[in-house]
Amino acid sequence: MAHDASQFSVDERELQSRRAFFELTDDDLRRLAALRPFAERHLDDITEAFYELLLGHLETRRFFPDDATVRRVKAMQRQYFLGLFDGRCDLAYAQNRLRVGAAHERIGMAPKWYIGAYRRYLGLILDRVFEEVGDPVEARAAYQSVQKLVAFDMSLALDSYIDANLQTLGRHQAAIRELSTPVIRVHDQVLLLPLIGTIDSQRAEQVMETVLMRITEEKAEVIIIDIAGVPVVDTEVADHLLKTTAAVRLLGARTILTGITAQVARTIIQLGVDISAMPTRARLADGIELALSIVGKTIAPKAV
Amino acid sequence: MGGPIPILKVGPNLLTTIHVELTDSIAEVFQQDVLRAIERTGAGGLVIDISVLEEVDTYVARVLADTGRMAALMGTRSVLVGMRPEVAATLVRMGYGMEGVETALDVDRGIARLASLKENR
Repeated sequence: MAHDASQFSVDERELQSRRAFFELTDDDLRRLAALRPFAERHLDDITEAFYELLLGHLETRRFFPDDATVRRVKAMQRQYFLGLFDGRCDLAYAQNRLRVGAAHERIGMAPKWYIGAYRRYLGLILDRVFEEVGDPVEARAAYQSVQKLVAFDMSLALDSYIDANLQTLGRHQAAIRELSTPVIRVHDQVLLLPLIGTIDSQRAEQVMETVLMRITEEKAEVIIIDIAGVPVVDTEVADHLLKTTAAVRLLGARTILTGITAQVARTIIQLGVDISAMPTRARLADGIELALSIVGKTIAPKAV
Repeated sequence: MGGPIPILKVGPNLLTTIHVELTDSIAEVFQQDVLRAIERTGAGGLVIDISVLEEVDTYVARVLADTGRMAALMGTRSVLVGMRPEVAATLVRMGYGMEGVETALDVDRGIARLASLKENR
């Protein structure tokens, strides 16, 4: 699933501007690299203490359903932790950190959880740095460097989280759009679009586009639009259907309208809408029969 | 026959594929070429293929519809084929449904349509 992470990326300029704002200098990186032995010594106890928080909290524990998952994420966490003390902050590093946000979005872990977890992380590091680095000035400088890089990481994780989230949203919207115009191939050259739900202008536009596209793709002669599932058929809806019919005709195909209930028939006539441009039928079955006859086929009873 | 758009005689019909943008001058020459070709060949039908055109404005649509009507006056039935989905959607949005113009999905079906129109005459 690496493609999700690679959607959002950082270039050299962005990297430098971000580093400048977080005041993350080469001195900081050198200081972090010097802490590497310290990091290696505390790798296990910090990782364990970090997961104590995550596993001890009901709402975050559900992200780690079994021991295998816990082992896997702990191994990843160790890598992540050591990465802080590599003494580098280049594009490859940023790309690696971006994956964190996308990965959290994928499993549905909201930013509040990992920002909270980062807090524990910093706390654990703080305690140990001050215990082990004798000189308080040096200890403070070391801790500041850790804090800068961690904040830098958080900013990247948040950006990629937001980006991944937007993409998820986009995919859902596309899925809804597709679901709202399910064009089905009933037979060679015959398509069916069962419309369900309210038809507003936006949906009508999309219905027209999808219908035209599918007719061209399938080389269909006839499209049956069934409106049995449309609650209200008013002048506007009728107008949209007529426009679609006109466009379908321009392609060289025909529209049949089915699912006309008694109520709809009354409304259309009372509103004075002329829909004679499309053949209409009450039942879908009759529409299918008509469509088949247009393409030169018939439904016949089975010879006994 | 001075225009850039070739008009071919295929069996009893004329076939033309519009492969260039129809500017005013090209449109006029095209119309003349089509009508002279009908005069010369006495073709029973005319297929105008616009599957290459990515854009058709109302002016071009009118030229195409008019050409069909003129051909009809000379006793030649015509059919417009291969219109792209986005072109159809745009024309309809502009309220230009090209009523009265015969249409078909592609050249083959256009020729079939001409044959069935002839039968029904």
